[in-house]
Amino acid sequence: MKDYLNIANSPLLWISAFPIALLVVLQALIFSKRALSSAKYVGLSQNEAKKAFKVGAISAIGPAMGVFVVMLGLMSVIGGPLAWMRLSIIGAAPTELAAAGMAAKAMGKELTSPEYGIMEFANATWVMALNGSAWLLTTGLFSHKVEGLTNKISGGDPKKLGILMISAMCGAFGYLFGNELIKVLNKETRAFAISGISAAIAMLFLEKIAKKHPKLGEYNLGIAMIVGMAFAVLYLHLIV
Amino acid sequence: MENNDKAYEKNFTQPIIRYGRLTNLLGIFLSFIPALVMYFYYDTFPGVQNILKGWMLIASIYGIYAIVEPISYFPILGLPGTYMSFLAGNIGNMRVPCSAIAQEALGVSPGTKKAELVSTLGIAGSIITNIIIVTIAAVGGAALMNAFPPIIIEAFKYVSPAIFGAIFALYASKNYKYGIFSLVLVGIMLLGIKFLPTYIMIPVAVFGTVAFAFKTNSKSKK
Repeated sequence: MKDYLNIANSPLLWISAFPIALLVVLQALIFSKRALSSAKYVGLSQNEAKKAFKVGAISAIGPAMGVFVVMLGLMSVIGGPLAWMRLSIIGAAPTELAAAGMAAKAMGKELTSPEYGIMEFANATWVMALNGSAWLLTTGLFSHKVEGLTNKISGGDPKKLGILMISAMCGAFGYLFGNELIKVLNKETRAFAISGISAAIAMLFLEKIAKKHPKLGEYNLGIAMIVGMAFAVLYLHLIV
Repeated sequence: MENNDKAYEKNFTQPIIRYGRLTNLLGIFLSFIPALVMYFYYDTFPGVQNILKGWMLIASIYGIYAIVEPISYFPILGLPGTYMSFLAGNIGNMRVPCSAIAQEALGVSPGTKKAELVSTLGIAGSIITNIIIVTIAAVGGAALMNAFPPIIIEAFKYVSPAIFGAIFALYASKNYKYGIFSLVLVGIMLLGIKFLPTYIMIPVAVFGTVAFAFKTNSKSKK
């Protein structure tokens, strides 16, 4: 193991990463408590509220496993504590990897170069914090202003808010999905498109089933994900 | 009804704004603790110039997203979801999908206050799961990697496209017109125009589809 990793994995760095992870958990708990105590005003029963939390928690297992795999790569460069902290908050794994890379590049190194050492690691701690702060600043300062704006546009009409939300979802995920779809054009990346397409088709079927058996609906994302991953791996091992 | 609206505002929306602002802004300070520990305890400081250079390099790619993403995702995440998602990260691959599935499982109609609470709870649940799994990864590390068969690790490389495909299908099935419009619009940008940066394509896809939805909706009413 490289010398700087002794410091990067030291107990003190674990302790320094802890407060923000705690903040994330605290915020989630405060918001949940507020939601539970306000449920009565909108006709949401306590059981339904608990179910919502549970469904969110279960549905996150698959996506979090995806984060897990990237995290192991990040840990080997910047150590456990910083990887743990950065993936508990703000960024997605690719952004954090890029930020660590740029911190090294500023000093004329690469994440993989043998000379990557303690100074580059220290730069990563600063650059990652500065980069992530931008999102915290804009959302911390302006979120409630955007809320006022959407209310003005929709006039507070739930039907219009519903259309706004569904069409925005189609737009955002149309982009994210489309970005994977075009990978079908390149043989090297085709498995990504296959995963996306098969999961999309699986979801359409699962939705039809869930209309008849609503109880199954909460596992739909998990099942569709497994279908997508399975087809990607099958393609790679049987066809390529 | 009027009273319930007021009570909701007072008991939910206002405290969310108060705590949301506080926690997200506090997060800025807390995220610098490791850097300060390196500086004060380990006497290691890369120099202001290197820090600024690294920051400029990364901000030139991602800086604009700090404005574009919160606005583009706001109609989807709502106010509490925005505070939580941008503090906890992993928005497209975890927060939004978990919020969507929670709303789907409870059968609430999108855009209502009930949906806002269900979404808040769904996202909160996903944050707790993420912290637990990421902590297991941090503690277990490479040893855990060896415990899984390589094919499973390989499969998880393909989890993001599967999530995107599934969530797209879920919402496109609510209104096929919006879904098709969005894919065509994205297709034109990705394959036709080609050179557009992502920070333009995301808001164009989101607000283009929203504009299309409102236009077709107002026409069908007449």
